[in-house]
This record gives sequence, C-alpha cells and structure tokens, in this order.
Amino acid sequence: MTHHRWFTPWVLVAPAAVWLFVFSVWPAINTVVLAFTNAKPLGGGHFTGLANFERALSDAQLVDALVNSIVFMLVCLPLLTMLPLLIAILVEKKLPGITFFRTAFYTPVVASAVVVALIWGWLLDDRGLINGLAQGLGVVTTPVPFLTERWLLLFSAISLTVWKGLGYYMIIYLSALGNVRRELHEAAAVDGAGPVRRFWSVTVPGVRNTMLLVSVLVSVSALRVFSELYVLSNGTGGPGGRDMSLVMLIQLYGRGFTGHLGYASALSLLLLVVTLGPMLALLRLNRKAA
Amino acid sequence: MRRYWAGLALLVVTIAGCGLGGAAEEEPAPSAGGAVKGKVSLQTWALKPKFTDYVQGVIDGFEKRYPGTEVEWLDQPAEGYSDKVLTQAAGGTLPDVVNLPPDFAVPLIRQGILLDVAQADQKLAAEYVPGALDAYRYPGVQGAYGYPWYLNTDVNYWNTELLKKNGLDPEKLPASLDELIAQARTLKEKSGGKVFLMSRRPELGDLTNAGVPIMSPDGARFTFNTPEAVALLDKYRDAFKEGLLPRDVLTDTYAGNAKLFNEGTVAWTTGGGNYITSLATDNPTLAPKVVPSKAMGTPPLYVQGLSISKATKNAPAALALARWVTSAENQAAFARLVNIFPSTVASANDPFFSKSDGSNSGDAKVIAFESLAEAKVLEPVQVTEAMKKLVRQQFSLAVSGEATSREALDAAVAKCDELLKS
Repeated sequence: MTHHRWFTPWVLVAPAAVWLFVFSVWPAINTVVLAFTNAKPLGGGHFTGLANFERALSDAQLVDALVNSIVFMLVCLPLLTMLPLLIAILVEKKLPGITFFRTAFYTPVVASAVVVALIWGWLLDDRGLINGLAQGLGVVTTPVPFLTERWLLLFSAISLTVWKGLGYYMIIYLSALGNVRRELHEAAAVDGAGPVRRFWSVTVPGVRNTMLLVSVLVSVSALRVFSELYVLSNGTGGPGGRDMSLVMLIQLYGRGFTGHLGYASALSLLLLVVTLGPMLALLRLNRKAA
Repeated sequence: MRRYWAGLALLVVTIAGCGLGGAAEEEPAPSAGGAVKGKVSLQTWALKPKFTDYVQGVIDGFEKRYPGTEVEWLDQPAEGYSDKVLTQAAGGTLPDVVNLPPDFAVPLIRQGILLDVAQADQKLAAEYVPGALDAYRYPGVQGAYGYPWYLNTDVNYWNTELLKKNGLDPEKLPASLDELIAQARTLKEKSGGKVFLMSRRPELGDLTNAGVPIMSPDGARFTFNTPEAVALLDKYRDAFKEGLLPRDVLTDTYAGNAKLFNEGTVAWTTGGGNYITSLATDNPTLAPKVVPSKAMGTPPLYVQGLSISKATKNAPAALALARWVTSAENQAAFARLVNIFPSTVASANDPFFSKSDGSNSGDAKVIAFESLAEAKVLEPVQVTEAMKKLVRQQFSLAVSGEATSREALDAAVAKCDELLKS
C-alpha cells in the first residue's frame, strides 16, 4: 500500500526548483531591475528610469556590436544548418573505417573553445603558419591581416565557429537521419529520383524539425558569441574595439570593482530581445511550412 | 483569484528585494589603541608556493614578537583576484589585513570599507616614501588607506644582437620618442621589415610623460584631449604608416610587446627590474644578450600595499601586522628573493640596491632602484580597467589612421567621463 501526500512531488522537485530559482530565475529578474538603475557592485545605486537605454541608443560601439552579432548569425546560420547535414549523410554510410571520420569531425567539439581559439590565433597571426606558408609560396608578399583587420577578424572567428560546430550538429542530424524511413528513399529511387532530388524531397522533409532545432540553436549561440572573438582579438575587441560582440560589451561594462551593472543589464536585455527575434521568426517560418 | 494576488505580491517582494544593495553604512573606525594579541587574518596575492617560506617566516616573527597573537594567512590565486576581493568586500568578509594595489583600493575607499591608516598610525608619513603613500590617498577623501609594501618601475630592455645586426649601436640607445622612431626606421630598412624596434601603442602614461594632464586637478573630469596628445598620437600614426610597428599593435595588449621581444622579433621592450630573470626561463639564449637602460621620460611607479578592513575586530593587531610585514627589514629580506624594492625611507641607503653584481640583471636592478627616486604613478587611480580598454581602442583607431588623433582623443575623453560620472 502506498501513501501519496500532497507535498511529495514538491519535495522531489524542490532541489532542482531551488537551484533554478537561485541561479536562473532570480538573476534574470534582478537583471531587469538593475537595467533601470545606476547600480555598482559596491554601494548599491539609484533608479534612473530609461537612462541606460538612452545611453545605449547613442553608443556607437553598440551599433558595431549589433552589426557584428547579426553578421555572425547570418553567415553561421545557413552554413551550420546545411554543412553538418551533408557531412552526416556522408558519414551515415556504413563503410569500413567510417568511424574514424565520424570521430575526426566530432573532435573539435570536445576541445575547449578557448584552446581552439588560441591555436587558430597562432595559425592566423601575421607570423603564423598560414601567413608563413602563403608568403613562402609567393601567394602574398605581405602578411594577410587576419587578426588585425575588422572584417577579416570577424570572418576568421566565424570560420572557427563553423569548424568547431560542425561535429556537434552532425551528431544531431545523424540521429535524425536514422528516423527517415529507408523505404521512402527506395520508392523515390524506383520512381527515377536521383540523389539530389531524393535529398530535397525525402531527406530534407524527413529532418525538417531537426533543421529547425539546429537553426534555433545556431542563431542563439551565434548572437551570444564571446570566446572566439575574445581570444582571437586578445581581449581587445579587434582594432579600435570594432569587433566586439554584444556579450563582450556586456563583459566590458559589467565586470570588476567599478562595473556598471545597470548599463550592462540594459545591454543584456537588448541581447535578449535580439535573440528572441530570429527564434520567433524561425518558429513562424516552420509553422507556415507545416 | 486569491492565488494571482498572492503571486503578484510575491513578485513585488522579489523585485523589491533584488537589484540594489544598500550603500555601505558609515561605521565608526575601530580603535587602534590596545594590546596586540588575538587572531588576525592576512590576505596576500599569489605568493604561494614561490614565497611560502618567506611569508611564513615573517608571520612566525610577528607571532614571536607579539606573544598571544595568531595570524591566519590566506593566499589567493593570481587570476580573478579583483573578483575575489569584490566578493569579500560586498559580503563583509574582507580579511583584517589585505594586499590591495591602489586601483583595487579606490572603490573600497569610496565606500568607506578601509581603515584610514594615516589617522591610526601617526608615524606612517615619516617612514614610507611619499610617492608610494600618495598612491593610497584619494582626491576628496581625508587620510591614507594602505601601508605601501613593495615598489617597482619600468626599465628599458634592448636586444643587443638585433641592434648590432641591423646597423644600430647598443652604446647609443634612444632616449626620446623621436630618437626611437629614427632608430626604428634604420632597423626596419636594414632588416627588410622582418624585425622591429617599436611594438607598443601609446598609453595614458605616455601622455602624462608628454606633459598632458590626464584629469582635472579635482579629479572630476578627463582632460587628455590636448594638442600635445594629438601631436604624440600623430607621431605614432606616421610611424605605423611607415611600417615601423608591427600590425599587432592594433590589437595586442601591453604584454604583447614583451611576447614579441621574448621571441626575438622586437628589439625593445619595457619591464620591471626583474624582467631578465624571468626572460632567462622563457628564452635562456636571449637573456645574456639583453642590456637595460633607464625608462624614457618619468618612470612609472607601481605600488603594492597592505590595507586594513574597517570592519576588523582586532585593529591593534591588524595595524601591527601590516606595519611588521612592510617594515624595512622584512621588505629588504623580500627584495633579496625577487627584484622588488622596499617602500620604506630607511631602505634608501641599502647598498644591496645601489650596487650591481655586474650581471645585466644586477644592472637592471640598480637602474630600477635609481629610477624609483623620480618615478610617479602615471595614470590616475580613477582610471578603471574599462576606461583603459576604451582608451586603447580609441588610440588603436588613431594609430591605424581610421580616425584622426583629435577624434580618437575626444571620443576617449567622452567615454571616460561617461564612465566616471555614471
């Protein structure tokens, strides 16, 4: 015989709920409150209404950061939605030694983002391997400023993000591909569909929900990019700080003894709004397609 | 319906409860008088394990000198020290005696978290060098808030091998920016642009050295957008355009310059009095080829100090401990382990610092010690990390030519003022 007391589920869920409240819900509410203040880490602050948001609107660096984050997302989104699917289709085949390729594609995911960015920094430096090779082969006469030119630095960070993310999304697609029924491919082949036609008419519709999930994950993580740009730019945000992402800007103002918590919180709210945009657009797109 | 009202009330209480912590309440300063005994805590910054024996020896000496005292020693790792101190200060758990460089101390002084040691210890001004003690004073606030501990400054270091190989004479080292640029040009031409002499962007300290006032005398606003500052940035911009500096200067921080020097790509760097000792570990073949010289202009003064928490329960022991650790004898012993310099007036005549053992590292120590007599804190303590970063970014735009020097300086001043006032 079992007894069900009304509080039993609450007791079971309490540890997780307390954790969630203390480390997620409370800080989130706190951020909203702080965004309307001039709070500092020491000594509190005062409510300042919309002053932080007015300041943000006139901040030229915020415009740069928004442009960087959006370019980052717009380039990463199609690449990281389609390339891992194509790689998953390749490594899905049961060939001898295919496990090696699966592992090879997944390896960058396991490595720490900071370590990988440091290695890429050494490769792309003016005196790095890539410039050394390019100069040695006579392709260029002066080093390509991968890390010291605004757009080249941004696209170097994008390349790093794409390379590092391929394996992660490939694994997600691999599990989705397993659910696409083989008979559909066979039937399409019997009807005379070639590999390209089968890809668009069988594979893509079969993994559409996964593609949506991947798109949402990619866009959110692209808008929140930090480590890649931070390490490649030595923490400076690139020449003139023009390669800062929104998160780097939040870190710049929010950290340290004299951190401007109010302004950093206002920027966090802006980041939330910016992140919600593509998510809602993708969900809407999916609903329409369905 | 009642449930919604209860939920709303909870939300209001939650929102009201979070966000703004109260300002530090003005507490009466603890009394400095009384017997030196009981427990007292000391926090150092990254001295373990390299200097464990030294610090433990100083602590043992203190406990022996003052029977009945017990020192609890906490050593924090180098990384994240400011965050650690911030957490301690906000949570009211700051140790009794704590190692704080001046820029860490400023926000704590403003919040009334530190004890005015000048008031509690009348002999302070007579026993410590004025420049170091001044670093623990803050405009508009009475008193001094730290016992200066050890000092350091910058010395020029030159790679003689690179200089000789590229047509420069190590006996005729540049002593001004103009001479530096002229020699950088020779080095570039002779090496075909493979190595450089200069590899650092100007910083606020360079502007101070050029006679530019960084802040107004009352510390209320920034004033470094002057024609002299424009002229200085223009010189760097022209040198960069000519290819006398590597492109890395646009994104590298100060340490990047030392990194290039250690690699043998750059022939000049600046560093503390003990730089050659650390270089001997990183690049043993380069270390013997390096010669030191006095920094150009007024040398910068770097200060470490021991502050005392105003909330200490044992002020007599905390004051005695801070004074003990920073005493001339204990600092002199410390300086024999590592090339740092004592902040006590009594140490000025110690021949250990004024005579070289003949090695290039020994020469650097003597140059640094002599430089300390005229060294000054070149950046006001009000300059925060965020301000430094924004200034570097603007200077980088000016050096690259993407913005004019005037535009970059105006933007940097506006940003710093905004951060200072908000």
